[in-house]
Amino acid sequence: MTGIRARRVQVETVRMLLLAVGLVLIGVPFLWILLTAFKRPVDASSVPPEIFSPFTTRNFRDLNQNGFVDSLANSAILTVTTMVCTLGFGVPAGYAFARGRFRGRWFLGGFLLFSRMVPPVVFIIPLFLFFNDFGLVGTYTGLTLAYLTGLLPFAVWMSASYFQDIPIELEEAARVDGASRAQAFFRIALPLALPGVVSVGLLIAIAAWSEYFIPLILAGPSTTPATVGIVSFVGVDSINWGAMAAGALALVVPVFLATLLAQRGLLRGLTAGAVKG
Amino acid sequence: MTSTALADRRAPAVRRGTPVRGFLDKHFLLAASWPSLLIMLAVTAVPFAISIGLAFTDYDLVKSKNWKFVGLANFDRLLHDPEIPRIIFNTAYLVIGSTVLTTVFGLVLAVLLDSRIRGVGFIRALYMLPIMTAPIVVALTWRAMFNNDAGWINYFLGTVHLPQPLWLGNPALAMPAVLISDMWTGVPFQAVLLLAGLLGVSTQLKEAAVSDGANMWQVFWHVTLPALRPVLFIAVVLRFIDAFRKFEGIQVLTTGGPGIASTPLNLQIYNTGLFYNQVGYAAAMGVLLIVLIAVSVGLLYLVAGRRSWR
Repeated sequence: MTGIRARRVQVETVRMLLLAVGLVLIGVPFLWILLTAFKRPVDASSVPPEIFSPFTTRNFRDLNQNGFVDSLANSAILTVTTMVCTLGFGVPAGYAFARGRFRGRWFLGGFLLFSRMVPPVVFIIPLFLFFNDFGLVGTYTGLTLAYLTGLLPFAVWMSASYFQDIPIELEEAARVDGASRAQAFFRIALPLALPGVVSVGLLIAIAAWSEYFIPLILAGPSTTPATVGIVSFVGVDSINWGAMAAGALALVVPVFLATLLAQRGLLRGLTAGAVKG
Repeated sequence: MTSTALADRRAPAVRRGTPVRGFLDKHFLLAASWPSLLIMLAVTAVPFAISIGLAFTDYDLVKSKNWKFVGLANFDRLLHDPEIPRIIFNTAYLVIGSTVLTTVFGLVLAVLLDSRIRGVGFIRALYMLPIMTAPIVVALTWRAMFNNDAGWINYFLGTVHLPQPLWLGNPALAMPAVLISDMWTGVPFQAVLLLAGLLGVSTQLKEAAVSDGANMWQVFWHVTLPALRPVLFIAVVLRFIDAFRKFEGIQVLTTGGPGIASTPLNLQIYNTGLFYNQVGYAAAMGVLLIVLIAVSVGLLYLVAGRRSWR
């Protein structure tokens, strides 16, 4: 018996050691961002690299001069508009998808698969031409609409899975008592699914905040988000590593906070479209 | 009489499974779902259909007014494009490399994280951070890590007296660099998916195998892995599809170079359509990309998927 216990301790020790090695590998790029963000430009690009060097907040002041702060504001605006639109349209649709049989139900399921399989590069040019005709290129409205391409099916699917977990009997009881379908949704189903909806919202926000490809093509000078803006620190012949790392830090920190909040919903979000509905 | 009629009208939802539902119900569900469906139709399905149409035209962004149908000319050009074989090779290299590396190491990480010891929840959360980092930040950071002179990777290789290659400037090493940076987010991603599967494997089954004298490796190989198969298949397919659309991690890390040494089809479509303004030809490549994705996912399903669903 003691032999088994000793072996168990051995196994767990090896496990912790390997996990620690893994965390170091995961941590090194983050450490680079953190250290470089507070380096003087001379130290940031010194050869050989200096791991530790004099501390400065100059890079963050550079961010301001480069218009990066405006692009962070654009990122925030787009994140909020995308989250509001996605949840506003997606959650009721997810409810309908979870509860009813109606025309278009199969279409929704097919769409999630489709939107996950087709790379945006395939339809971005027609979308650009389309938006050009309606004057939507370079506007928040246009960008938000374009962000919905991947995120709306995701939100519908995710919230449907949360609604499916709520026993239908509760809504049925309310209906017997005279509540309309809409009342059953707003008063019973939605409050019960709220924790799920919140984590879907956070995942949507993280995805919108991180989006690069769509604004690269559809954003204008005044609507460029920080993901596209940060690339401006990569010049033709030199890269401002310090300012870039400072920008990266500004992009990463809010997401880490959101990740801690959404930890539970995260797993479900990643498997969306994988589990048969 | 009237009271039964009233009850019928009020409680249609109670009759689960019957197709007869109140008019209001139907109305509400339709109203709740159709705005979403219309948006998806407008911003995805219609542009997608137009894109396929554009593949048969000579449309470009400069002389956009004078375009005409050119039949299969773009596809003919695709067949004779000297760059296409290399692009297809890069795409396969990227997709297969990314899927195999991240899934194998992801499975190892998932097994390591499948423990009940204290603090493992926090460690799992830390491993999730790369997944949540914006891909553009990942790409830029790895570009710094791979930098020849000031990069940490070559500095480390130098201190342990290993050769310091020109990672991003060497045609043979550009794609491996892409795959290494891809593993940084991909391995945790696969691990998180597979961990969900591992936690679902019956402990009773594992304990039964142990009491029958199986060692840890045998339990993993004969009990855990077969039970994990459906999740493993899903994880492979998701990674596979995501690798086809990988963009920042190439466009910003290697810029597809040197030359086209690390340009997959996805990036080539972007360059052709938006950089060289050949929208029609880019659309034809888009059709090729979708066919490649559909065929390879279909093949995966035939080879591994059907059995794992049973």
